[in-house]
Amino acid sequence: MKIEGQYTFDGPRPILWELVRDPQVLATCLPGSPSVRKTGEHEYEGEIAIRVGPISGAFAGQLSVTNEVPPASCTLTVEGKGKVGFVKGVGNIDMTDQGPGKTLMKYTGEVQIGGKVASVGQRLFDSVSRGMIDQALGKLNETLQARSGGR
Amino acid sequence: MTKTLIGQRVLRNEDARLLTGLAQFVDDVEIPGLLHAAFLRSDHAHARLVGLDVSAARQRPGVIAVFTAEDMGADWAPGPPLVSPPPTAKDVTFHSRRQVPLVKDKIRHAGEALAVVIAENRYIAEDAVEDILVDLEPLEAVVDLEDAMRPDSPRVHDDLESNLAAHLFQKKGDYDAARQQADLVLRRRILIDRGAAAAMENRGIVADWDEKSQHLTIWDTTQAPIPIRNGTAARLGLSENQVRVIAPFIGGGFGPKMMMFYPEELVIPWAAKKLKRPIKWIEDRRENFYATTQERGQVHDVEIALSKDGRILGLKDIFLHDTGAYDPYGLTIPLNTQCHALGGYDIQNFTTEVSVVFTNKTLVTPVRGAGRPQGIFVIERMLDAAARELGLDPVEIRRRNLIPPTAFPYEHGIIDQAFAPLILDSGNYWPVMEKALEMIGYATFVRDEQPRLRKAGKHVGIGIAPFVESTGVGPYEGARVTVEASGKVFVATGVGTQGQGHFTTFAQVVAEQLGVEVSDVRLVSGDTAEFHWGTGTFASRGAVVAGNAIHAAASIVRRKVLELASKHLETPEDELELEGGRVRVADIPNRSISLAELANLANPLRGAVEPGTEPGLEATAYFGPRYGATAFGVHAMIIEIDPETMMIEIKRYVTVEDCGTVLNPLILEGQIHGGVSLGIGNAYYEKLHYDENGQLLNASFADYLIPSATEMPRIEVGHMETRSPLNELGTKGVGEAGTIPVPALFAQAIENALADRQLEILESPLSPNRLYELTSRKEAG
Repeated sequence: MKIEGQYTFDGPRPILWELVRDPQVLATCLPGSPSVRKTGEHEYEGEIAIRVGPISGAFAGQLSVTNEVPPASCTLTVEGKGKVGFVKGVGNIDMTDQGPGKTLMKYTGEVQIGGKVASVGQRLFDSVSRGMIDQALGKLNETLQARSGGR
Repeated sequence: MTKTLIGQRVLRNEDARLLTGLAQFVDDVEIPGLLHAAFLRSDHAHARLVGLDVSAARQRPGVIAVFTAEDMGADWAPGPPLVSPPPTAKDVTFHSRRQVPLVKDKIRHAGEALAVVIAENRYIAEDAVEDILVDLEPLEAVVDLEDAMRPDSPRVHDDLESNLAAHLFQKKGDYDAARQQADLVLRRRILIDRGAAAAMENRGIVADWDEKSQHLTIWDTTQAPIPIRNGTAARLGLSENQVRVIAPFIGGGFGPKMMMFYPEELVIPWAAKKLKRPIKWIEDRRENFYATTQERGQVHDVEIALSKDGRILGLKDIFLHDTGAYDPYGLTIPLNTQCHALGGYDIQNFTTEVSVVFTNKTLVTPVRGAGRPQGIFVIERMLDAAARELGLDPVEIRRRNLIPPTAFPYEHGIIDQAFAPLILDSGNYWPVMEKALEMIGYATFVRDEQPRLRKAGKHVGIGIAPFVESTGVGPYEGARVTVEASGKVFVATGVGTQGQGHFTTFAQVVAEQLGVEVSDVRLVSGDTAEFHWGTGTFASRGAVVAGNAIHAAASIVRRKVLELASKHLETPEDELELEGGRVRVADIPNRSISLAELANLANPLRGAVEPGTEPGLEATAYFGPRYGATAFGVHAMIIEIDPETMMIEIKRYVTVEDCGTVLNPLILEGQIHGGVSLGIGNAYYEKLHYDENGQLLNASFADYLIPSATEMPRIEVGHMETRSPLNELGTKGVGEAGTIPVPALFAQAIENALADRQLEILESPLSPNRLYELTSRKEAG
């Protein structure tokens, strides 16, 4: 499944970059109360609870960050599995200045799902993942506003 | 014969039990100490299995055992081939790869079993499955048939050079020469995708090993209990007499429940014997979607050559056939497709070539129709295209090509699914078509109603599709018929029953011979302790093969009855008649003796049975046809399409079947109704959606649509009878007749209803959504 979209943040790009590069921050933005631990310079591991229609369960997995061009773009690779299936995804984030105090983030990605989450949840996965992304981006924007508010 | 029961609408003997919940199904089996099994299945379609850690699962309270392939040790072996391998011939390539009980090294489709947990109940077993840690290395999946055949494709079986499972070339006449003489040559690419059988009852098995009697009893939702008994005995090193397989009432077979030797059928009896405890496994619906076999995926490149008056000069069909991860069922399905691509038509020049392809998808084995709907879809689509090109009426082009009644037996000159010459035994095709035309009012509809309704803005269309169905194949079936001391009759036969009405039709055959009430004939089918010679219920062969074996056994018992009664009544046999459970002297009704008395005379407590005779009024007989009988039929329907939603309303649905002698029209109609329902699903609702990674994306009834009562039309069934010369009763099979032509019929009727859009349909299954896409694409140019 392909994921594509964009979001305009109310804050400057360097601060947004710092937030994006801090998975602890990302973790607080995502629904499903994920936990994240750093395991290498660009590698992390963690758990997240996901609910797709009738299917719900915990996923454990790894996140790695590559192709970093600070403070503009990077590639995020996620691999997770749980009792209800597995998820693999690769996404690219690209940020550009959009006037004063505004940053445009474009994201594209490819997600592969398998197991029960695919065979029973597929119909809803698209809208669930879009909802999760929207919610995460909104939360990230709030964090950004709070952090950049004083400037 | 005093009373004709064959052909009567006799109500079903079995319905009282079924309707009051007293019929036994596999899940009804309860045994003290029964354990329950759950399987760990792969989420990935293609992966190398690195390791399984089952230690936590084994420690869970209530878990009795956890088995992996490794734990099976020397008992681990792939399942047996399910049909004879193809003969070694220069035009046949066949690589046999059979399913394994539990994956040892490589996962080849999502849902393949990796381990089994045996626990005190299913809840614990399911929880313990989740305790198992799986270490695997995902591989790129082989999904698309054409991609699978590219040299750089990943391979489903590493030891083969490619994903080619089999290749078979057949020809009759000279297609290329015919093509040279043709006025019209049409080429089309036709795509057919998979559907599920979706029986109401999922699979299930209970195995009970009794250590003291050294005997294994298995209740299995199988259509073929005898092969399962023999194969299980061989695998477990037991005598066949130490194994009893019972196929009780089954909520629908439709092919995937044949003698499959599914992983569960290999593992559960093995585990029961090892643990010396009874074990039950009942499949859940999601397992059914990816662990029960499926069918229909093919890609055809077809060419048809015709004269300008619409005569078919030749047909060439080169196609790919999806067999999934393994091919235990050999070439049965693609051979059926090859044979049925000729339809009921007189085609002198035919070239057909199939490449069977391994993919990382669930195994493909016959599903009601078994390759036949694809063949019929191909030829009927080509004829519709040709009729349009030549400006002929779709009925007329068919009339000009149907095999004439004088041409039977019609030898086609290619081999059929049994690797024997394809011969159509008998038939009278055009009158069947005429009857269907008359029943649906074809002429009036096309001349008056359709123009009137079109003027009123309605998208109404008509379709009419003939088809042949090869049925009643060998090797043989058998039966034992006994008149018991009560005067009632007991019949045992090997074929199992999954709703076909055997308890009634077979009882009618016996009652007709012995002059008893149909309800006084008790039948046991599908229990190897009662009868253990035969193969099973599939390929529309029950009524033909088992029916004629039962007829033969009942005829012998009738002779024994008459012989004994003749002595007792001191009257020649030809002056006796059997009626109402008694043998009477024809002209003197009060000189008679009951079957009960005769049964007791035949089994005396004192005196001596004469040398060279047998006690009892009992006989066992077998029947094996020289080759399969071929049935014929025509389906016709009138539809209206809502052009906004592409929902189809079926206004009229007519079928006319010629399946030889009709044993019971009521039951025949039931078979047709069920078949049409599956056909409508195949044609317009059901499709298994696999993504490019081999994940099945609609493995639940929330997403996989099967027709319900609201989609089912009222079906008008007509009959014609051309007796088969191949058997005493003159029967031909009808089990798959309802399903076979439906996708072809839908395509034709939809094209007709949307004539203003000049749409050509070259794929199946369709759906409202897909039809909308096709018409939009057409409009977009």
